[in-house]
Amino acid sequence: MIEVKQVSKQFGGVSAVKNVSFLAPAGQVTGLLGPNGAGKSTTLRMLYGLLAPDTGQVFIDEINVAENTRLAQSRLGVMTDNHGLYARLTAREHIHYFGRLHGMENEQVEARASELITLLGMGPIADRRTHGFSQGERTKVCMAQCLVHSPGNVVLDEPTNGLDVMTTRIVREVVQELRVMGITVLFSSHLMHEVARLCDNIVIVSMGEVVAEGTAEMIKLLAQEDDLEDAFVKLVEQVIPL
Amino acid sequence: MRPFTIVLVKECLDGVRDRRAVLSALIFPVLAPFLVYFLIHTMIELRSQDKDMLVAVQGADNAPHLMAWMAEKGVEFSVATGDPKTLVSNQSEELVLVIPDNFAGRIAEAKTSYVELVSDSSRNDSRITVARVRNLVRGYNSELASLRLIVRGVSPEVMSVISIVDSEVASQQEIATSVLSFIPIYIVLAAFISGMGIAVDSTAGERERKTFEALLINPVSRLQIVLGKWVAATLFAVLGMSLTLVLSMLVMSYVQLEELGLRFHVSALQVIAMLLATLPLAFLATSMQMLVGIFAKSFKDAQSYIGFLVLLPMLPGLYTMFNPIKTETWMYAVPMLGQHLLLTDVMGGVAVPVIGYFLSPLAVLLLCFVFSAITARLFKRESIIFS
Repeated sequence: MIEVKQVSKQFGGVSAVKNVSFLAPAGQVTGLLGPNGAGKSTTLRMLYGLLAPDTGQVFIDEINVAENTRLAQSRLGVMTDNHGLYARLTAREHIHYFGRLHGMENEQVEARASELITLLGMGPIADRRTHGFSQGERTKVCMAQCLVHSPGNVVLDEPTNGLDVMTTRIVREVVQELRVMGITVLFSSHLMHEVARLCDNIVIVSMGEVVAEGTAEMIKLLAQEDDLEDAFVKLVEQVIPL
Repeated sequence: MRPFTIVLVKECLDGVRDRRAVLSALIFPVLAPFLVYFLIHTMIELRSQDKDMLVAVQGADNAPHLMAWMAEKGVEFSVATGDPKTLVSNQSEELVLVIPDNFAGRIAEAKTSYVELVSDSSRNDSRITVARVRNLVRGYNSELASLRLIVRGVSPEVMSVISIVDSEVASQQEIATSVLSFIPIYIVLAAFISGMGIAVDSTAGERERKTFEALLINPVSRLQIVLGKWVAATLFAVLGMSLTLVLSMLVMSYVQLEELGLRFHVSALQVIAMLLATLPLAFLATSMQMLVGIFAKSFKDAQSYIGFLVLLPMLPGLYTMFNPIKTETWMYAVPMLGQHLLLTDVMGGVAVPVIGYFLSPLAVLLLCFVFSAITARLFKRESIIFS
């Protein structure tokens, strides 16, 4: 379970995140939806402890991130939006490295790596160095890296950005599976249709504020629109000063 | 296994696979000793050329006694035919000694005889030979002059008011050391060059590849990550230093330093002492490079800054090469100067005060930890993690 309570962050006088609160319950997929620059990444960075909020708190499984950062991080699996890899390590070595950093034993990591390689269909690339990997292959490595320690909470920052249909499907399947396993999934995206398809709960942010929260139906109702995309645009534009 | 070890193992693996880093870590330690060898070998070559000197002479028959006297001093003669000035200017002879027909006659009359020394002072390679021939002729002159005075019942000492007696204070090994003073400079340089690849790749490279954020989300303290990276880079630096040192010593044992009138002997124990004395520099070099590396946004960016860092360790070495200083205890506490003093002292067979062995690594390690602590702090800075 991930709980964000009245979190704010300023960068040099500019408010990036204003008083944001939401709850991502266990066994559900929560979508953090917003246009580019809405404050999604900033919110997530405060959530996984790399950015200290100016005010407010974040709790992972009721652990305060600011007070107990490492314990909270050990409950989290994070896939950042930049998909950076070590060019000279193989895909399997990436999974191994991150597993070991999460305190897993050698045999444990190896078993888990093989499991993830099968799950994500990485067999042919598992023992190749990641130099020259396609965007889809990179995403898979990052995904495996994020899931290696079987975290109870998974944060995916724009995981389907720039992916082809096949890889996007694999990502969706993995997200569904995580939900079935009772894991908290927090998923950020700027694509309405994707969020509508995957998420139980949607949190829409714009200009650093939460503008709507609830199921897709509730959001359509709130915006008084029949189409989810229209609802999204309407809600987002409410807070943009014209 | 502690996170520190995990990071260390990963960085080493990453580093070993980085062909660019490995190459730059190895090229210098292998090349530098051979450069030393080449330099000293050339010096010896020049010296041995000096010994069997070949001088072209015109009119050797006019001064058989002078010829015999010079031959005794190790000079061989060849007969120069043709115009001596042309011979020298077209470089077929280094120099030509011309002895006129009236040479013996004027000596017999106790008048001044003239010999002509034709040379080209713009040519560097003949300068030593010319100077030697000139000295030999002067030597012959003063010997004959002395004899003339003795014949006339005058002591030859009347002629020599002041005579310079050359006496060298430096021990043979100390001369050898000053000749070989570039070896410590190379060893110090190796510390800075060999670890650089990994130090930069694991900081600036991590930012450039955008792996930094994912790494820092792991539940591991920043200090452990920094230490792991630091020690990995330092291992490479230590390897480079050891290789430079051992190869240098090996190469030196092949050079006939005795030919230069030098004696150079370093025992295995001394090599170990030298290595121990300079090892802290490897830590210092990499901690400085990591600190610079973390500020840089890319590998190339970092390299341009780190180029200046390489100059730093050379300063004390170069300074003492041209301005010999008297070692005082506090100097051991100055990072880099201390190591340089230890190295040159051990190589020169000079006893180092015990405190020197403790003071210099202590000072350096203290500085290292300051640098690494700053680096670890920077690992928390938002502008560095996300850029």
